[in-house]
Amino acid sequence: MNTTVENVRNIGISAHIDSGKTTLSERILFYTKRIHAIHDVKGKDGVGATMDSMELEKERGITIASAATFCEWLDHEINIIDTPGHVDFTIEVERSLRVLDGAVLVLCSVGGVQSQSITVDLQMKRYQVPCLAFINKCDRSGADPARVIGQLRSKLGHNAVALQIPIGLEANFQGIVDLLAMKAVYFDGSNGEKVRIEEIPAELRDEARKQREEMIDAATMFSDELMEAVLEERPIPDALIIAALRRGTLARKITPVLIGSAYKNKGVQPLLDAVTRYLPCPSDVENTALDLEHNEAPVVLSTDPDKPIVALAFKLEDGTYGQLTYIRVYQGTLAKGAVIVNTRTGKKTKVGRVVRMHADQMEDIEAISAGYIGALFGIECSSGDTFVSPGQNLTMTSMFVPEPVISLAIFPKDNKSQINMSKALNRFTKEDPTFRTHMDEETNETIIEGMGELHLEIYVERMKREYGAEVETGKPRVAYRETITQRAEFNYTHKKQTGGSGQYARIAGYLEPITEGPEDFLFVNEVRGGAIPTQYIPACEKGFHLCMAKGPKMEFPVTGVRVVINDGASHAVDSSDMAFQAAARGAFREGYAKAKPVVHEPIMKVVVESPTEFQGAVMGLLNQRRGMIVGAQDEGVMTVVEAQVPLAEMFGFSTILRSATQGKAQFTMEFAVYRQVPQSIAEQIAEEVALRKKSAA
Amino acid sequence: MKSAASPMFIRSSAGRVIKLKDRNTAMLKQELILRNPLRYLGFEREDVLAPGEFGAVLAHAGVGKTALLVQLALNGMLRSRNILHVSLIDPVQKVNLWYGELFHHLADRYEAPQIKRLWDSILPHRFIMTFRVDSFSVPKLDERLNDLTEQGIFKPDMMIIDGLHCNASLRPAMEALKTLAVKNGLPVWFTVHTHRHEQPEDDGLPASFSPLVDLFDLVLELRTEHADIHITPLKGALTGAPAAADLLLDPSTMLIKDRA
Repeated sequence: MNTTVENVRNIGISAHIDSGKTTLSERILFYTKRIHAIHDVKGKDGVGATMDSMELEKERGITIASAATFCEWLDHEINIIDTPGHVDFTIEVERSLRVLDGAVLVLCSVGGVQSQSITVDLQMKRYQVPCLAFINKCDRSGADPARVIGQLRSKLGHNAVALQIPIGLEANFQGIVDLLAMKAVYFDGSNGEKVRIEEIPAELRDEARKQREEMIDAATMFSDELMEAVLEERPIPDALIIAALRRGTLARKITPVLIGSAYKNKGVQPLLDAVTRYLPCPSDVENTALDLEHNEAPVVLSTDPDKPIVALAFKLEDGTYGQLTYIRVYQGTLAKGAVIVNTRTGKKTKVGRVVRMHADQMEDIEAISAGYIGALFGIECSSGDTFVSPGQNLTMTSMFVPEPVISLAIFPKDNKSQINMSKALNRFTKEDPTFRTHMDEETNETIIEGMGELHLEIYVERMKREYGAEVETGKPRVAYRETITQRAEFNYTHKKQTGGSGQYARIAGYLEPITEGPEDFLFVNEVRGGAIPTQYIPACEKGFHLCMAKGPKMEFPVTGVRVVINDGASHAVDSSDMAFQAAARGAFREGYAKAKPVVHEPIMKVVVESPTEFQGAVMGLLNQRRGMIVGAQDEGVMTVVEAQVPLAEMFGFSTILRSATQGKAQFTMEFAVYRQVPQSIAEQIAEEVALRKKSAA
Repeated sequence: MKSAASPMFIRSSAGRVIKLKDRNTAMLKQELILRNPLRYLGFEREDVLAPGEFGAVLAHAGVGKTALLVQLALNGMLRSRNILHVSLIDPVQKVNLWYGELFHHLADRYEAPQIKRLWDSILPHRFIMTFRVDSFSVPKLDERLNDLTEQGIFKPDMMIIDGLHCNASLRPAMEALKTLAVKNGLPVWFTVHTHRHEQPEDDGLPASFSPLVDLFDLVLELRTEHADIHITPLKGALTGAPAAADLLLDPSTMLIKDRA
């Protein structure tokens, strides 16, 4: 590593499914000479793109796990995180954005800003990631970059500024006009590796001049010097425009827009130039950690390589040589032989091999210094863990992890699969915090939980392929919840005073629904005058809390309950922690039955994009599934239907949607809200639960 | 479309059961309906417009045309009328926001759980359809409407068209819309954007709108005066309605001011 931190770029490439992220990453690697041949995502040569290292990804043509890759361009070191585009894997996208300094938002010049782009954009906003937009697929029929720029402004609210205009479009797409240099750029050679610069074609000159003025106009907002130069009509040096645009981009006030076609090898090199010019280097971005010794007070980190180490493990992978931990160093230098402490576990580790990743190949290096991304071998940790130098007690801000909404029972086919399955589950839960697993004590089934049907499907497939674990799956189950709808009193006495040491405890108070705030359980002690001795209060709380895990109504987790105790009684000899816990359980059951419990189900926000002629059919499908259609948005050839549909009704929707629309529609789905289940459905669920209990017994 | 409001009274063998929770929601609903100040315009009918009739809200940009119509729509939804909101300017998300905002302003004095339940119960009475201005046409709207009604997804009782540029050249389209409205028995509300540079004619109507005015049964104008927004009927309001001339819109919430 001979470059300074100013010349480092940690970028992500994120976008809608099939916008061509992986193809673009592949081209970048080719032009930066990290690979020597280009393979297409669904290539005929059967090799597959380099970034899609997992076998399964190659087969499905989608990117599952973000592979971190390193490359060099014009004295700059660029670390690229290739992020998955499907919404079921958003935890991967979010995790990547956390460690990135900048991003390239890839948009399809035909599809424009699609629903997934909006989700990704929201995530970028959440983590304040500055970005460039790349309008890809300009060679496709129907390509219209100007429309996409308009959508960037209207739909995403970006101040999109075009830095280039296309020379020809669709099949006639030849190259681009660089509005900064005011030159035409063409890409020759079999792989577009030869960049030929010429004068702008006469017919585009006026347009180019107009667009350049617009660009400079937008840039003047960020540089007084530039503003003066424009007003005085002095010649404007490129460096001044670049500096102004960069300032705007870093503040997320400008989104420079570049165009091209990765598949046709056009416009990729200028994109790399723009990455080095406009996206931030690690020291441009302020990162904060939380100080655990001072009540989680935020601490600003500096990219000084001589300070104590602070690093974040953001991704784990199981390689042939053991666990590979992708890590971003925020402060200090993580060198071979250094001692680091995992803040979560407090465990000390000595750093063994340090490598730099290039998809699934790697290169050994001596150290990773602040601002860089690399990988470590043989470190035992979970993803999201923070590593620091001994003596420090910092943790990187916790990442937003959504609760799983769907679960599935899995059964290994034989003994060998059983062993492999537990190995695989162990690995997956470490890699992905949204993927969870547990054992159902009543049915003795292994349950996996995740963010969607496809999410779980992919893991089941990976178990088979990577671990040789043959498993059968049960029917997916929705994560229902129970809650109460009104206040109810309880007054319960737990008494067992017949022989042996007795048990006595009485608890009185009330339960009520929590209407505001995120808490699922609140315990309030309003006991006056020592009716319940203080030492038993924690036991009462524990007793109530334990009841929340499984509701008395249908055994779903209970949420949104505030427990207030205001009276009780104890016995000098027979009261104990145990007795009060038991009394709390009894009191909860008593109050709960009177508090009108109901079942809530997860409602998903479903957005279907389909050609206009199928929109009637699509709405019919959604309507059949208890969906409430919020609206239909006409986008010319495409219509976007937005609906809220219960997750329970969405199983197998992708297949049904494909067959109803000749495969031309696609949909995205994300968790929206928990809502009460209608009475008839609640009865059905009760029957299912009863049946399941019976079969387990 | 199944009505989402469950019946207030359920007969069972044990006698008549009154569901208190539903009654509370129903009462809140009733109260919100009664508070609808459009009554002051002096209309007998709750829907203001009869099936097949056209109504227009005229104003300069940003005065509150959409807000007024969304209130009308909310009022309809509270009475379990199905509202089709066609927007040519805003995406679905934004229209949805309008409804959410205004509903919460309307109901802000009530307790949160009740409001949430009521909101959930009236939402199925609304359907938002958006078009880009250039791709909007009456045959297309008709086709969409058929899609919805034939499959039993949604049968509107009232339609709102927001963002159509009403001028003389639109006459054929407006006539087609009229036929569509009469065929489906829909009252239709329009927003009409007026321009500051345009001098109104004697009857107070802008010149560009005059050629179409015969199609409309009710025309309301929103006008800002100092900090107030006045709602004035230009055509169609019952004469002699006491408060009709100076109904106000509260600029902070965009709600019609409760004069009671």
